[in-house]
Amino acid sequence: MIDRIASFGRSGTELVVSLGRASRFLAGVLWGVPRPATGFPLLLKQLYSVGVLSLAIIVVSGLFIGMVLGLQGYTILSDFGSEAAIGQMIALTLVRELGPVVTALLFAGRAGSALTAEIGLMKATEQLSSMEMMGVDPLRRVIAPRLWAGFIAMPVLAIIFSMVGIWGGMLVGVEWLGVFEGSYWGNMQASVDFWDDVVNGVIKSVVFGFVCAWIAVYQGYDCVPTSAGISSATTKTVVYSSLAVLGLDFVLTAVMFGNF
Amino acid sequence: MHSYISLKDVVFSRSGRRIFNGVSVEIPRGKVTAIMGPSGSGKTTLLRLIGGQLQPDSGQIMVDNQPISKLGRTELYAFRRKMGMLFQSGALFTDLSVYENVAFPMRVHTSLPEDMIRDIVLMKLEAVGLRGARELMPSELSGGMNRRVALARSIALDPELIMYDEPFAGQDPIGMGVLVKLIHDLNSSMGLTSVLVSHDVKESLSICHYACIIADGKVIGAGTPAELQEHPSEQVQQFLQGQPDGPVPFHYPSPAAAADFGLAGGAS
Repeated sequence: MIDRIASFGRSGTELVVSLGRASRFLAGVLWGVPRPATGFPLLLKQLYSVGVLSLAIIVVSGLFIGMVLGLQGYTILSDFGSEAAIGQMIALTLVRELGPVVTALLFAGRAGSALTAEIGLMKATEQLSSMEMMGVDPLRRVIAPRLWAGFIAMPVLAIIFSMVGIWGGMLVGVEWLGVFEGSYWGNMQASVDFWDDVVNGVIKSVVFGFVCAWIAVYQGYDCVPTSAGISSATTKTVVYSSLAVLGLDFVLTAVMFGNF
Repeated sequence: MHSYISLKDVVFSRSGRRIFNGVSVEIPRGKVTAIMGPSGSGKTTLLRLIGGQLQPDSGQIMVDNQPISKLGRTELYAFRRKMGMLFQSGALFTDLSVYENVAFPMRVHTSLPEDMIRDIVLMKLEAVGLRGARELMPSELSGGMNRRVALARSIALDPELIMYDEPFAGQDPIGMGVLVKLIHDLNSSMGLTSVLVSHDVKESLSICHYACIIADGKVIGAGTPAELQEHPSEQVQQFLQGQPDGPVPFHYPSPAAAADFGLAGGAS
């Protein structure tokens, strides 16, 4: 019994220590903003790697999720003779929830794991150490552009995901199942509020982007510099990011749409 | 002897293990100093302490009269521009070509025009015999070439101090000969202070002016190569002559063999 309590206490202490290290790391990255002349090209390169290269998975996933929503929505709503509301249902579901959340989960799996593995390998091959010895701070040169790129790319990807999803829903609902196109778009315009729905969805994706990018770069920078260590760090990135996104989504949804 | 680097009573532990227990070393300016010792004796750790990547538990580390372990982050990064370090793996940036790797420190720390950077990069690559390899990527280089490019990069900003971490490890005889020549020539032509960490006794003693041997967390022998060859310590002689048994035993400490093998009289 005492051993269990001790083990529980040890785990708690390790968690607090780890959170402390991650926070110090984040402060170091945010404090060391690179000069615009050198930082901007690095940021652009990372935006390409983190954002543009994630487009394919985001677009394809958004399309299929929108199409599935169209099919499911039509089946359920037609029981009540309300299939005309399918556009409203798809848009609200995507903009408020599925857009930010699924994009963040896909982002953690595609870009987050790649960031962790890349930084971990740079650590294992002493590239970060050599940078330090050249008088170049790796937090500014390597970590900061990747963190900011994740932070910027994520909301843009979430918006693209939602747009493609709405279009996919229209393909199924309007083109295939025969819902009147005017109802599809008209109900959507009447019920989706820019501030309450779209902006809140974007705020969610900004928060998710920041958390996912932070977890990814920290896990890479803090990993044990061996093949097993990098593998473990990459797994942790995906698991921790997914849990953080789902947990934060509940909190943000309660705050934004709770109406308590 | 005018010291460029001075370590006094340095104590350093990691993961509860004492690596250095009061190490004191003086490294003269403008000379090649070899730090030797068995694997795991903390030679690379010593370089990281000198470079300020690790902090000692106690003791003082002075580099060019600056207390390196007490410098702030900004001062430390500025101070490191005077240093070059050749890592055991080379540590080239894998997404940059040979040319861009050597140009990297200049692009970050100077505002030199591109044609001047080009001339300096080609001169540094010429010095290590790889001017013709400038378009190659690190993945296309052999181990020896990789280290020579890393050497060109580490002298790109004309440092005062250069540290070599196991430069000869894993090299074929030709590659080793090239590196020995480069370290010697660079030191004499550029007036560098060179610190060479290695356990390759013959090669290290052939180019160093001064050497010290580290074992068991302390310096067990120091002096010129000739003085070390005559050193009275058995442990120093065992290391220099590569004897398999001696003060450092062949066998790792273990229980009596009879007990382990279950032989008569061995059971307890």
